[in-house]
Amino acid sequence: MADFLNSYSIQRWLELCPQGYLEDTVYGHEEGESEAEVLLADDDLRTDAIRSTVQLVVGERAALAASSGLVNAAPDYPSKHFLATQTLDEARHVEIFTQRLFDLGVKKADLESTIDHFANPHLVKFAEVLLEKVDSGDFIAGVVGQNIVLEGLAFSVFEMMETSNRVSNPKFAHTLAGTIADERRHVGFGENRIGSLIKEHPEKKSEIEQMQKDMAYHMLKTFSLSFDEGRDNVDKARDVMGDVGSADFHGTDLSTATSEEMQTVLEQTVIGEFKTRLARIGLEYQAPVGV
Amino acid sequence: MNNQASTDPITQAVTTEEPRRTFELEDRGFREVPKKWRKFYRHWEGEDDWLGPNEIICPVCKVVIRSKRELRVGDRLYCMPCMSRMVVVEAQDGSLATEVIY
Repeated sequence: MADFLNSYSIQRWLELCPQGYLEDTVYGHEEGESEAEVLLADDDLRTDAIRSTVQLVVGERAALAASSGLVNAAPDYPSKHFLATQTLDEARHVEIFTQRLFDLGVKKADLESTIDHFANPHLVKFAEVLLEKVDSGDFIAGVVGQNIVLEGLAFSVFEMMETSNRVSNPKFAHTLAGTIADERRHVGFGENRIGSLIKEHPEKKSEIEQMQKDMAYHMLKTFSLSFDEGRDNVDKARDVMGDVGSADFHGTDLSTATSEEMQTVLEQTVIGEFKTRLARIGLEYQAPVGV
Repeated sequence: MNNQASTDPITQAVTTEEPRRTFELEDRGFREVPKKWRKFYRHWEGEDDWLGPNEIICPVCKVVIRSKRELRVGDRLYCMPCMSRMVVVEAQDGSLATEVIY
């Protein structure tokens, strides 16, 4: 255990992250980049962008609370060190997505009211399920919820958003690319650390699987509401942005897909990843009921 | 890591089979690891992409891990972007896959 955890050192994090792919970035993107003019000029599209970015801030605030809470719950110092680096990663994500809200025209004085107004209630519930485990000091459940369920969700959502923004909004795509690189470490730690702990604590399985089931329920409800809210603007965004070429995401061309098709491919991708990740660490994916 | 190429992510399995093909690796723009390791990784580029005999996808973080040598069953690999360790196995369809080592 200790041997593999040495890779997740603060020194390695420094080399990979601030001295590596984040070097010379400004709030996660290249200096001088700005949001697409057509996005800022259209109220519907700008509001849509604010709504979707609020969900990123809400998710990252949950990840910040969870990873910082898990530092104290971790049973060993290498895990505490990694979670300390993850805490800074998550704080950075909160900051860069909050900065995007400002770039989209949200005034600083209106930040919290804007987040309250647009936050998806199911995403808030999703976070509450996770933070209940973290607050009780349950390290194994907390890491599964944070580094496998939440980070697994974020990983696919960020990839989808990065793919669809690569041509039309390079500034946002670059911001997302740095967060995806961070998420790789987070899911890696989750699987590697918990893979061995689950074997040592098989009595935890049913409780953790119930947590995963609850989180998956709220995740799918989040997707459903989010794609419903954005449905009317999909065609308008394509008209305004013009031809941006194909954007393949797991076999679906996001540049031509309907809102329903995008929701389907995202759900299938995230749930498929949950199943394989959980199976690798000895847990069985529990499908939520009623969604 | 092996002694032949300290940066290569592969630790080659002991084998008596025919010699392996070798490959010249170029930097494919993967910026998520320090410079001297960048040629050993690349992003998967979607359904039109394909894997060479020296490449395999990390099952944890989905980047393509690349070696200077052809991969074979039993090789052990390290994925620097997610820091996972894995071993190359044969999938049901006969292709190469990986199993993560915990």
